[in-house]
Amino acid sequence: MNDNVQQRVFRVISEVLNRKENEIQLTLSLRDELKMDSLGQMTLFIALEDEFQQSIPPEEAEGLVTVQDVIKFIERKTQEPSLV
Amino acid sequence: MSRRVVVTGAGVVSAIGKGVEAFWRGCLEGRAVVTTIPENWIQFADFHSRLWSPLPELDLESLGIARTERLHLDPVTMLAIGAGREALENAGFTLQPVEERARAYRVSGIDGTRAGVFLGTGIGGAHSFLHNHVHHLHQRTRALLAAYAGNHASDPDLASLNTVLGMLSHGPRYNPFVVSMLMPNAPSAALGIRFSLTGPNVTSCVACAAGTVAVGHGYRAVRDGDVDLAVTGGSEYLYDEHGHIFHGFDVAGTLVRDYSSPETANRPFDMKRSGFLFSQGGAAVLVLEDMEHARRRGAPIMAEVTGFAETFDAHSMMSLAPGGQQIERVLRTALADADLAPGSIDYINAHGTGTRNNDEVEAGVIERVFGKSVRVNSTKSILGHTIGASGAFEAVVTALTLRDGITHACKNLDEPLLDLNFVRSAGHFDARAAVSQSFAFGGHNAAIVMRRFD
Repeated sequence: MNDNVQQRVFRVISEVLNRKENEIQLTLSLRDELKMDSLGQMTLFIALEDEFQQSIPPEEAEGLVTVQDVIKFIERKTQEPSLV
Repeated sequence: MSRRVVVTGAGVVSAIGKGVEAFWRGCLEGRAVVTTIPENWIQFADFHSRLWSPLPELDLESLGIARTERLHLDPVTMLAIGAGREALENAGFTLQPVEERARAYRVSGIDGTRAGVFLGTGIGGAHSFLHNHVHHLHQRTRALLAAYAGNHASDPDLASLNTVLGMLSHGPRYNPFVVSMLMPNAPSAALGIRFSLTGPNVTSCVACAAGTVAVGHGYRAVRDGDVDLAVTGGSEYLYDEHGHIFHGFDVAGTLVRDYSSPETANRPFDMKRSGFLFSQGGAAVLVLEDMEHARRRGAPIMAEVTGFAETFDAHSMMSLAPGGQQIERVLRTALADADLAPGSIDYINAHGTGTRNNDEVEAGVIERVFGKSVRVNSTKSILGHTIGASGAFEAVVTALTLRDGITHACKNLDEPLLDLNFVRSAGHFDARAAVSQSFAFGGHNAAIVMRRFD
Protein backbone atom coordinates (compact mmCIF):
# COMPACT_ATOMS: atom_id res chain seq x y z
CA MET A 1 0.00 0.00 0.00
CA ASN A 2 1.03 3.55 -0.71
CA ASP A 3 2.18 5.04 2.64
CA ASN A 4 1.24 8.54 1.61
CA VAL A 5 -2.31 7.56 0.69
CA GLN A 6 -2.63 5.55 3.91
CA GLN A 7 -1.45 8.47 6.01
CA ARG A 8 -3.87 10.88 4.35
CA VAL A 9 -6.83 8.49 4.64
CA PHE A 10 -6.05 7.97 8.33
CA ARG A 11 -5.95 11.73 8.83
CA VAL A 12 -9.28 12.28 7.07
CA ILE A 13 -10.98 9.48 9.03
CA SER A 14 -9.65 10.87 12.30
CA GLU A 15 -10.88 14.35 11.37
CA VAL A 16 -14.34 13.13 10.43
CA LEU A 17 -14.65 11.08 13.61
CA ASN A 18 -12.84 13.66 15.77
CA ARG A 19 -10.57 10.87 17.08
CA LYS A 20 -6.82 10.52 17.37
CA GLU A 21 -5.03 9.12 14.32
CA ASN A 22 -3.45 6.33 16.34
CA GLU A 23 -6.93 5.00 17.09
CA ILE A 24 -7.46 4.23 13.39
CA GLN A 25 -6.27 0.80 12.24
CA LEU A 26 -6.29 -0.91 8.88
CA THR A 27 -8.49 -3.82 9.94
CA LEU A 28 -11.21 -1.78 11.64
CA SER A 29 -14.60 -1.80 9.95
CA LEU A 30 -16.20 1.56 9.23
CA ARG A 31 -19.66 0.61 10.40
CA ASP A 32 -19.25 -1.80 13.28
CA GLU A 33 -15.98 -0.76 14.89
CA LEU A 34 -15.63 2.90 13.96
CA LYS A 35 -19.41 3.35 14.40
CA MET A 36 -19.84 5.26 11.14
CA ASP A 37 -23.49 5.18 10.08
CA SER A 38 -24.54 5.90 6.49
CA LEU A 39 -24.38 9.68 7.03
CA GLY A 40 -20.96 9.33 8.63
CA GLN A 41 -19.73 7.37 5.64
CA MET A 42 -21.20 9.96 3.29
CA THR A 43 -19.24 12.62 5.18
CA LEU A 44 -16.11 10.49 4.93
CA PHE A 45 -16.37 10.07 1.18
CA ILE A 46 -16.92 13.73 0.40
CA ALA A 47 -13.99 14.52 2.70
CA LEU A 48 -11.89 12.00 0.75
CA GLU A 49 -13.09 13.57 -2.52
CA ASP A 50 -11.88 16.88 -1.19
CA GLU A 51 -8.57 15.51 0.05
CA PHE A 52 -7.68 13.60 -3.12
CA GLN A 53 -9.58 15.77 -5.63
CA GLN A 54 -11.22 12.68 -7.08
CA SER A 55 -14.89 12.10 -7.78
CA ILE A 56 -16.28 9.28 -5.61
CA PRO A 57 -19.85 8.42 -6.68
CA PRO A 58 -21.73 6.75 -3.77
CA GLU A 59 -22.36 3.56 -5.79
CA GLU A 60 -18.61 3.07 -6.23
CA ALA A 61 -17.98 3.33 -2.49
CA GLU A 62 -20.62 0.73 -1.65
CA GLY A 63 -19.16 -2.49 -0.30
CA LEU A 64 -16.10 -0.93 1.29
CA VAL A 65 -16.01 -2.46 4.74
CA THR A 66 -12.66 -1.76 6.38
CA VAL A 67 -10.19 1.11 6.49
CA GLN A 68 -7.89 -1.01 4.33
CA ASP A 69 -10.65 -1.37 1.71
CA VAL A 70 -10.95 2.43 1.61
CA ILE A 71 -7.20 2.89 1.13
CA LYS A 72 -7.05 0.39 -1.73
CA PHE A 73 -10.06 2.05 -3.33
CA ILE A 74 -8.47 5.49 -3.08
CA GLU A 75 -5.20 4.18 -4.52
CA ARG A 76 -7.15 2.93 -7.52
CA LYS A 77 -9.08 6.20 -7.84
CA THR A 78 -5.95 8.33 -7.78
CA GLN A 79 -4.92 6.71 -11.04
CA GLU A 80 -7.95 8.38 -12.68
CA PRO A 81 -8.05 12.00 -13.90
CA SER A 82 -8.37 14.52 -11.07
CA LEU A 83 -11.40 16.77 -10.43
CA VAL A 84 -9.25 19.87 -10.98
CA MET B 1 -45.03 33.30 35.42
CA SER B 2 -43.20 36.48 34.44
CA ARG B 3 -39.48 36.66 34.99
CA ARG B 4 -36.86 39.33 34.38
CA VAL B 5 -34.70 38.57 31.35
CA VAL B 6 -31.08 39.64 31.06
CA VAL B 7 -28.43 39.52 28.34
CA THR B 8 -25.45 37.62 29.72
CA GLY B 9 -23.35 37.08 26.61
CA ALA B 10 -22.92 38.06 22.98
CA GLY B 11 -20.92 36.78 20.04
CA VAL B 12 -20.32 38.31 16.63
CA VAL B 13 -18.77 37.49 13.29
CA SER B 14 -18.92 40.57 11.05
CA ALA B 15 -17.25 42.45 8.23
CA ILE B 16 -15.73 44.90 10.72
CA GLY B 17 -14.47 42.40 13.24
CA LYS B 18 -14.78 38.92 14.70
CA GLY B 19 -15.59 38.90 18.38
CA VAL B 20 -18.00 41.20 20.11
CA GLU B 21 -15.44 43.61 21.56
CA ALA B 22 -13.58 44.02 18.24
CA PHE B 23 -16.93 44.55 16.53
CA TRP B 24 -17.92 47.18 19.13
CA ARG B 25 -14.59 49.01 18.73
CA GLY B 26 -15.19 48.98 14.97
CA CYS B 27 -18.65 50.50 15.44
CA LEU B 28 -17.35 53.23 17.74
CA GLU B 29 -14.56 54.03 15.29
CA GLY B 30 -17.05 53.99 12.37
CA ARG B 31 -14.77 51.50 10.65
CA ALA B 32 -16.89 50.45 7.64
CA VAL B 33 -15.60 47.98 5.06
CA VAL B 34 -16.81 49.01 1.60
CA THR B 35 -15.36 47.69 -1.66
CA THR B 36 -16.46 47.07 -5.21
CA ILE B 37 -18.27 43.81 -5.88
CA PRO B 38 -16.30 40.78 -7.18
CA GLU B 39 -15.09 41.33 -10.74
CA ASN B 40 -16.45 38.05 -12.07
CA TRP B 41 -20.06 38.95 -11.13
CA ILE B 42 -20.05 41.66 -13.75
CA GLN B 43 -19.70 39.17 -16.61
CA PHE B 44 -23.11 37.71 -15.71
CA ALA B 45 -25.24 40.85 -15.41
CA ASP B 46 -25.37 44.63 -15.56
CA PHE B 47 -25.80 45.99 -12.06
CA HIS B 48 -27.03 49.39 -10.91
CA SER B 49 -25.02 49.13 -7.69
CA ARG B 50 -21.36 48.15 -7.55
CA LEU B 51 -20.59 48.23 -3.83
CA TRP B 52 -20.77 45.75 -1.00
CA SER B 53 -19.33 45.09 2.42
CA PRO B 54 -17.41 41.80 2.29
CA LEU B 55 -16.57 39.57 5.22
CA PRO B 56 -12.90 38.85 5.86
CA GLU B 57 -11.79 35.36 4.84
CA LEU B 58 -13.35 33.03 7.37
CA ASP B 59 -10.87 31.39 9.70
CA LEU B 60 -12.86 28.24 10.35
CA GLU B 61 -10.63 27.07 13.16
CA SER B 62 -11.30 30.24 15.11
CA LEU B 63 -15.04 29.64 14.65
CA GLY B 64 -14.58 26.15 16.09
CA ILE B 65 -15.31 24.51 12.73
CA ALA B 66 -13.30 21.47 11.59
CA ARG B 67 -11.94 21.28 8.04
CA THR B 68 -14.25 18.42 7.13
CA GLU B 69 -17.35 20.20 8.49
CA ARG B 70 -17.23 22.90 5.82
CA LEU B 71 -18.13 20.17 3.35
CA HIS B 72 -21.58 19.73 4.87
CA LEU B 73 -22.34 23.06 6.56
CA ASP B 74 -23.38 26.21 4.72
CA PRO B 75 -21.42 29.35 5.68
CA VAL B 76 -24.60 30.78 7.26
CA THR B 77 -24.48 27.90 9.72
CA MET B 78 -20.74 28.15 10.35
CA LEU B 79 -21.15 31.86 11.13
CA ALA B 80 -23.93 31.06 13.60
CA ILE B 81 -21.84 28.39 15.31
CA GLY B 82 -18.89 30.78 15.66
CA ALA B 83 -21.03 33.57 17.11
CA GLY B 84 -22.96 31.14 19.31
CA ARG B 85 -19.83 29.66 20.78
CA GLU B 86 -18.46 33.09 21.64
CA ALA B 87 -21.78 34.20 23.16
CA LEU B 88 -21.91 31.17 25.47
CA GLU B 89 -18.29 31.56 26.50
CA ASN B 90 -18.75 35.29 27.13
CA ALA B 91 -21.76 34.43 29.28
CA GLY B 92 -19.34 32.57 31.51
CA PHE B 93 -20.21 29.02 30.50
CA THR B 94 -17.69 26.23 30.02
CA LEU B 95 -18.24 23.99 27.00
CA GLN B 96 -17.53 20.36 27.82
CA PRO B 97 -16.97 17.92 24.93
CA VAL B 98 -19.54 15.15 24.58
CA GLU B 99 -17.68 11.88 24.20
CA GLU B 100 -20.22 10.05 22.08
CA ARG B 101 -20.81 12.86 19.53
CA ALA B 102 -17.98 14.40 17.54
CA ARG B 103 -17.61 18.15 18.07
CA ALA B 104 -20.62 18.41 20.36
CA TYR B 105 -20.54 20.13 23.75
CA ARG B 106 -22.59 20.36 26.89
CA VAL B 107 -22.95 23.79 28.44
CA SER B 108 -21.80 23.55 32.04
CA GLY B 109 -24.24 24.42 34.77
CA ILE B 110 -27.45 24.40 32.73
CA ASP B 111 -30.25 21.93 32.19
CA GLY B 112 -30.20 21.44 28.40
CA THR B 113 -33.93 20.70 28.37
CA ARG B 114 -34.52 24.22 29.76
CA ALA B 115 -32.43 25.94 27.07
CA GLY B 116 -33.73 26.89 23.63
CA VAL B 117 -32.47 28.32 20.35
CA PHE B 118 -34.28 31.20 18.63
CA LEU B 119 -32.45 32.29 15.50
CA GLY B 120 -33.34 34.45 12.54
CA THR B 121 -32.26 34.32 8.93
CA GLY B 122 -33.57 35.87 5.75
CA ILE B 123 -32.48 33.37 3.12
CA GLY B 124 -30.80 30.56 5.08
CA GLY B 125 -28.45 28.45 2.99
CA ALA B 126 -29.16 30.09 -0.38
CA HIS B 127 -25.43 29.96 -1.03
CA SER B 128 -25.47 26.16 -0.99
CA PHE B 129 -28.66 26.01 -3.03
CA LEU B 130 -27.14 28.18 -5.77
CA HIS B 131 -23.74 26.47 -5.65
CA ASN B 132 -25.33 23.07 -6.19
CA HIS B 133 -27.87 24.41 -8.67
CA VAL B 134 -25.01 25.58 -10.85
CA HIS B 135 -23.53 22.08 -10.74
CA HIS B 136 -26.91 20.55 -11.59
CA LEU B 137 -27.46 22.96 -14.48
CA HIS B 138 -23.98 23.21 -15.95
CA GLN B 139 -22.20 19.93 -15.42
CA ARG B 140 -23.46 18.03 -18.48
CA THR B 141 -23.74 21.10 -20.69
CA ARG B 142 -20.18 22.06 -19.89
CA ALA B 143 -18.93 18.50 -20.46
CA LEU B 144 -20.60 18.40 -23.90
CA LEU B 145 -19.12 21.75 -24.87
CA ALA B 146 -15.70 20.77 -23.50
CA ALA B 147 -15.81 17.59 -25.61
CA TYR B 148 -16.72 19.66 -28.67
CA ALA B 149 -13.88 22.07 -27.95
CA GLY B 150 -11.52 19.11 -27.57
CA ASN B 151 -12.54 17.74 -30.97
CA HIS B 152 -12.02 21.12 -32.63
CA ALA B 153 -8.81 22.14 -30.97
CA SER B 154 -7.37 23.59 -34.16
CA ASP B 155 -10.42 25.80 -34.83
CA PRO B 156 -9.26 29.46 -34.59
CA ASP B 157 -12.76 30.54 -33.43
CA LEU B 158 -12.66 28.60 -30.20
CA ALA B 159 -11.96 31.65 -28.03
CA SER B 160 -15.67 32.40 -27.49
CA LEU B 161 -16.37 28.81 -26.62
CA ASN B 162 -13.57 28.82 -24.08
CA THR B 163 -15.06 31.96 -22.54
CA VAL B 164 -18.40 30.18 -22.29
CA LEU B 165 -16.71 27.16 -20.71
CA GLY B 166 -15.22 29.47 -18.10
CA MET B 167 -18.63 30.97 -17.37
CA LEU B 168 -20.11 27.50 -16.98
CA SER B 169 -17.61 26.53 -14.29
CA HIS B 170 -19.12 24.67 -11.35
CA GLY B 171 -18.10 22.98 -8.13
CA PRO B 172 -16.67 19.47 -8.03
CA ARG B 173 -19.78 17.67 -6.80
CA TYR B 174 -23.51 17.82 -6.22
CA ASN B 175 -23.30 17.72 -2.45
CA PRO B 176 -25.24 14.85 -0.83
CA PHE B 177 -25.86 17.13 2.17
CA VAL B 178 -27.35 19.96 0.12
CA VAL B 179 -30.84 19.77 1.65
CA SER B 180 -29.56 20.06 5.19
CA MET B 181 -27.24 22.87 4.08
CA LEU B 182 -29.84 25.04 2.36
CA MET B 183 -32.77 24.64 4.76
CA PRO B 184 -33.32 27.92 6.65
CA ASN B 185 -33.53 26.12 10.01
CA ALA B 186 -30.00 24.71 9.64
CA PRO B 187 -28.26 27.43 11.73
CA SER B 188 -30.72 27.00 14.62
CA ALA B 189 -30.52 23.22 14.42
CA ALA B 190 -26.72 23.30 14.28
CA LEU B 191 -26.56 25.40 17.46
CA GLY B 192 -28.87 22.99 19.27
CA ILE B 193 -26.80 19.99 18.12
CA ARG B 194 -23.47 21.65 18.84
CA PHE B 195 -24.31 22.73 22.36
CA SER B 196 -26.79 19.98 23.35
CA LEU B 197 -29.70 22.40 23.81
CA THR B 198 -32.89 20.34 23.69
CA GLY B 199 -35.55 22.96 24.50
CA PRO B 200 -37.52 24.71 21.73
CA ASN B 201 -35.51 25.27 18.56
CA VAL B 202 -37.12 27.86 16.32
CA THR B 203 -36.11 29.69 13.16
CA SER B 204 -37.63 33.08 12.37
CA CYS B 205 -37.58 33.54 8.61
CA VAL B 206 -38.97 37.06 8.30
CA ALA B 207 -36.44 38.78 6.07
CA CYS B 208 -34.88 41.92 7.56
CA ALA B 209 -36.86 41.61 10.81
CA ALA B 210 -35.73 38.02 11.45
CA GLY B 211 -33.03 38.88 14.00
CA THR B 212 -35.26 41.16 16.06
CA VAL B 213 -38.17 38.71 15.95
CA ALA B 214 -35.86 35.88 17.06
CA VAL B 215 -34.51 37.89 19.99
CA GLY B 216 -38.06 38.86 20.91
CA HIS B 217 -39.30 35.28 20.88
CA GLY B 218 -36.30 34.19 22.94
CA TYR B 219 -37.11 36.96 25.44
CA ARG B 220 -40.72 35.81 25.71
CA ALA B 221 -39.72 32.17 26.20
CA VAL B 222 -37.46 33.10 29.13
CA ARG B 223 -39.90 35.65 30.56
CA ASP B 224 -42.78 33.18 30.49
CA GLY B 225 -40.76 30.40 32.09
CA ASP B 226 -40.66 28.10 29.05
CA VAL B 227 -36.87 28.07 29.24
CA ASP B 228 -34.19 29.41 31.58
CA LEU B 229 -31.83 30.31 28.79
CA ALA B 230 -32.28 31.31 25.14
CA VAL B 231 -29.50 31.35 22.58
CA THR B 232 -30.86 33.88 20.14
CA GLY B 233 -29.89 36.19 17.30
CA GLY B 234 -29.45 35.96 13.56
CA SER B 235 -27.18 34.73 10.81
CA GLU B 236 -26.97 35.54 7.11
CA TYR B 237 -24.64 34.74 4.21
CA LEU B 238 -25.39 36.56 0.97
CA TYR B 239 -22.46 35.58 -1.26
CA ASP B 240 -22.69 33.28 -4.25
CA GLU B 241 -20.21 32.72 -7.07
CA HIS B 242 -22.27 34.54 -9.71
CA GLY B 243 -23.79 37.45 -7.77
CA HIS B 244 -27.34 36.01 -8.00
CA ILE B 245 -28.37 37.23 -4.56
CA PHE B 246 -26.86 40.66 -5.09
CA HIS B 247 -28.66 40.80 -8.46
CA GLY B 248 -32.02 40.15 -6.77
CA PHE B 249 -31.68 43.10 -4.41
CA ASP B 250 -30.10 45.25 -7.13
CA VAL B 251 -32.83 44.73 -9.71
CA ALA B 252 -35.42 45.56 -7.04
CA GLY B 253 -33.80 48.98 -6.79
CA THR B 254 -32.94 48.67 -3.11
CA LEU B 255 -29.14 48.99 -3.23
CA VAL B 256 -26.97 52.07 -2.98
CA ARG B 257 -26.90 53.71 -6.41
CA ASP B 258 -24.46 56.54 -6.01
CA TYR B 259 -21.17 54.69 -5.77
CA SER B 260 -18.82 57.41 -7.01
CA SER B 261 -17.39 57.68 -3.49
CA PRO B 262 -17.48 54.23 -1.84
CA GLU B 263 -16.56 55.56 1.60
CA THR B 264 -19.58 57.86 1.79
CA ALA B 265 -22.08 56.02 -0.43
CA ASN B 266 -23.89 54.36 2.49
CA ARG B 267 -25.75 57.19 4.25
CA PRO B 268 -28.92 56.29 6.19
CA PHE B 269 -31.19 59.19 7.10
CA ASP B 270 -29.22 61.60 4.87
CA MET B 271 -30.91 63.64 2.15
CA LYS B 272 -28.48 62.16 -0.38
CA ARG B 273 -29.12 58.50 0.54
CA SER B 274 -29.60 56.22 -2.47
CA GLY B 275 -30.24 52.72 -1.11
CA PHE B 276 -28.70 50.24 1.30
CA LEU B 277 -25.19 48.82 1.29
CA PHE B 278 -25.31 45.09 0.53
CA SER B 279 -23.38 43.10 3.12
CA GLN B 280 -21.86 39.68 2.56
CA GLY B 281 -23.45 38.75 5.88
CA GLY B 282 -22.44 37.79 9.37
CA ALA B 283 -23.89 36.49 12.59
CA ALA B 284 -24.73 37.93 15.97
CA VAL B 285 -25.88 35.82 18.90
CA LEU B 286 -27.08 36.87 22.36
CA VAL B 287 -27.54 34.69 25.41
CA LEU B 288 -30.76 35.68 27.18
CA GLU B 289 -31.25 34.31 30.65
CA ASP B 290 -33.62 34.35 33.58
CA MET B 291 -32.17 37.00 35.89
CA GLU B 292 -32.24 34.77 38.96
CA HIS B 293 -30.56 31.95 37.01
CA ALA B 294 -27.86 34.39 35.89
CA ARG B 295 -27.36 35.78 39.38
CA ARG B 296 -27.05 32.34 40.96
CA ARG B 297 -24.11 31.52 38.75
CA GLY B 298 -22.54 34.97 39.00
CA ALA B 299 -22.91 35.71 35.29
CA PRO B 300 -21.88 39.03 33.73
CA ILE B 301 -24.99 41.04 32.78
CA MET B 302 -24.88 43.39 29.79
CA ALA B 303 -28.47 44.70 29.84
CA GLU B 304 -32.04 43.72 30.56
CA VAL B 305 -34.67 43.00 27.90
CA THR B 306 -38.00 44.38 29.06
CA GLY B 307 -40.33 44.45 26.08
CA PHE B 308 -41.10 43.13 22.63
CA ALA B 309 -43.83 43.45 20.00
CA GLU B 310 -44.45 42.57 16.38
CA THR B 311 -47.01 43.80 13.86
CA PHE B 312 -47.69 43.31 10.17
CA ASP B 313 -48.36 45.95 7.51
CA ALA B 314 -50.73 43.91 5.30
CA HIS B 315 -49.83 46.35 2.54
CA SER B 316 -47.03 45.32 0.16
CA MET B 317 -44.41 42.59 -0.24
CA MET B 318 -41.60 45.07 -0.83
CA SER B 319 -42.59 48.46 0.45
CA LEU B 320 -43.40 49.92 3.86
CA ALA B 321 -46.96 51.15 4.21
CA PRO B 322 -47.07 54.94 3.80
CA GLY B 323 -47.43 56.67 7.14
CA GLY B 324 -46.00 53.75 9.10
CA GLN B 325 -49.17 53.06 11.08
CA GLN B 326 -48.13 49.50 11.97
CA ILE B 327 -44.61 50.64 12.81
CA GLU B 328 -46.07 53.16 15.25
CA ARG B 329 -48.24 50.40 16.71
CA VAL B 330 -45.29 48.01 17.11
CA LEU B 331 -43.39 50.67 19.03
CA ARG B 332 -46.28 51.60 21.30
CA THR B 333 -47.05 47.92 21.96
CA ALA B 334 -43.41 47.11 22.78
CA LEU B 335 -43.32 50.10 25.16
CA ALA B 336 -46.51 48.89 26.84
CA ASP B 337 -44.95 45.44 27.18
CA ALA B 338 -41.99 47.09 28.90
CA ASP B 339 -44.35 49.27 30.97
CA LEU B 340 -42.57 52.39 29.77
CA ALA B 341 -43.81 55.72 28.39
CA PRO B 342 -42.21 56.94 25.13
CA GLY B 343 -40.47 59.73 27.06
CA SER B 344 -38.52 57.12 29.07
CA ILE B 345 -36.68 55.97 25.96
CA ASP B 346 -33.45 57.86 25.38
CA TYR B 347 -31.83 55.82 22.59
CA ILE B 348 -33.17 54.21 19.41
CA ASN B 349 -31.16 51.86 17.26
CA ALA B 350 -33.14 52.46 14.08
CA HIS B 351 -33.75 50.11 11.18
CA GLY B 352 -32.12 52.90 9.13
CA THR B 353 -31.39 51.13 5.86
CA GLY B 354 -30.59 54.13 3.68
CA THR B 355 -33.43 53.54 1.21
CA ARG B 356 -35.54 56.57 0.34
CA ASN B 357 -38.78 55.08 1.61
CA ASN B 358 -37.63 53.34 4.81
CA ASP B 359 -35.80 56.28 6.27
CA GLU B 360 -38.55 58.75 5.48
CA VAL B 361 -41.30 56.62 7.03
CA GLU B 362 -39.16 55.56 10.00
CA ALA B 363 -37.97 59.08 10.84
CA GLY B 364 -41.57 60.33 10.75
CA VAL B 365 -42.74 57.60 13.13
CA ILE B 366 -39.83 58.23 15.53
CA GLU B 367 -40.76 61.92 15.68
CA ARG B 368 -44.45 61.12 16.25
CA VAL B 369 -43.85 58.56 19.00
CA PHE B 370 -40.74 59.81 20.76
CA GLY B 371 -40.33 63.45 19.74
CA LYS B 372 -37.08 65.10 18.75
CA SER B 373 -34.90 64.55 21.78
CA VAL B 374 -34.35 60.78 21.66
CA ARG B 375 -30.93 59.83 20.29
CA VAL B 376 -31.03 57.86 17.04
CA ASN B 377 -28.41 55.99 15.05
CA SER B 378 -28.26 53.29 12.41
CA THR B 379 -25.77 50.43 12.78
CA LYS B 380 -26.35 49.74 9.08
CA SER B 381 -24.56 53.04 8.37
CA ILE B 382 -21.41 51.11 9.35
CA LEU B 383 -22.13 47.44 8.65
CA GLY B 384 -24.38 47.73 5.63
CA HIS B 385 -27.45 45.51 5.58
CA THR B 386 -27.04 41.94 6.81
CA ILE B 387 -30.76 41.21 6.24
CA GLY B 388 -31.84 38.47 8.67
CA ALA B 389 -28.86 39.06 10.96
CA SER B 390 -29.27 42.84 11.09
CA GLY B 391 -31.74 42.95 13.98
CA ALA B 392 -29.45 40.69 16.01
CA PHE B 393 -26.42 42.90 15.35
CA GLU B 394 -28.50 45.90 16.38
CA ALA B 395 -29.69 44.16 19.56
CA VAL B 396 -26.04 43.52 20.43
CA VAL B 397 -25.19 47.18 19.77
CA THR B 398 -28.15 48.30 21.90
CA ALA B 399 -27.02 46.08 24.80
CA LEU B 400 -23.44 47.35 24.49
CA THR B 401 -24.62 50.96 24.37
CA LEU B 402 -26.51 50.42 27.63
CA ARG B 403 -23.63 48.50 29.21
CA ASP B 404 -20.91 51.02 28.36
CA GLY B 405 -22.81 54.30 28.17
CA ILE B 406 -21.40 55.04 24.70
CA THR B 407 -23.11 55.40 21.31
CA HIS B 408 -21.66 54.98 17.84
CA ALA B 409 -22.23 57.63 15.19
CA CYS B 410 -24.73 57.49 12.37
CA LYS B 411 -21.99 57.39 9.73
CA ASN B 412 -22.05 59.63 6.66
CA LEU B 413 -24.98 61.67 7.94
CA ASP B 414 -24.30 65.19 6.64
CA GLU B 415 -27.76 66.54 5.94
CA PRO B 416 -30.46 64.74 7.95
CA LEU B 417 -33.81 64.25 6.26
CA LEU B 418 -35.54 65.35 9.47
CA ASP B 419 -34.47 67.35 12.48
CA LEU B 420 -34.09 64.42 14.90
CA ASN B 421 -31.36 63.94 17.51
CA PHE B 422 -29.15 61.74 15.35
CA VAL B 423 -25.83 60.65 16.87
CA ARG B 424 -23.32 62.62 14.81
CA SER B 425 -20.18 61.42 16.54
CA ALA B 426 -19.37 58.52 18.84
CA GLY B 427 -19.14 59.36 22.49
CA HIS B 428 -20.41 59.05 26.04
CA PHE B 429 -24.14 58.88 26.48
CA ASP B 430 -25.72 57.65 29.67
CA ALA B 431 -28.61 55.74 28.09
CA ARG B 432 -31.02 54.08 30.51
CA ALA B 433 -33.67 52.64 28.19
CA ALA B 434 -33.51 51.87 24.48
CA VAL B 435 -35.43 50.46 21.53
CA SER B 436 -34.09 48.42 18.61
CA GLN B 437 -36.47 48.12 15.68
CA SER B 438 -36.63 46.28 12.36
CA PHE B 439 -38.97 46.22 9.38
CA ALA B 440 -38.96 43.69 6.57
CA PHE B 441 -39.97 42.73 3.05
CA GLY B 442 -43.35 41.12 3.42
CA GLY B 443 -44.49 43.75 5.92
CA HIS B 444 -43.12 42.43 9.23
CA ASN B 445 -42.35 44.97 11.95
CA ALA B 446 -40.68 44.16 15.27
CA ALA B 447 -39.22 46.09 18.19
CA ILE B 448 -37.45 45.13 21.38
CA VAL B 449 -36.98 47.30 24.45
CA MET B 450 -33.91 47.06 26.66
CA ARG B 451 -32.76 48.92 29.72
CA ARG B 452 -29.52 49.37 31.57
CA PHE B 453 -29.06 46.75 34.24
CA ASP B 454 -28.34 48.30 37.63
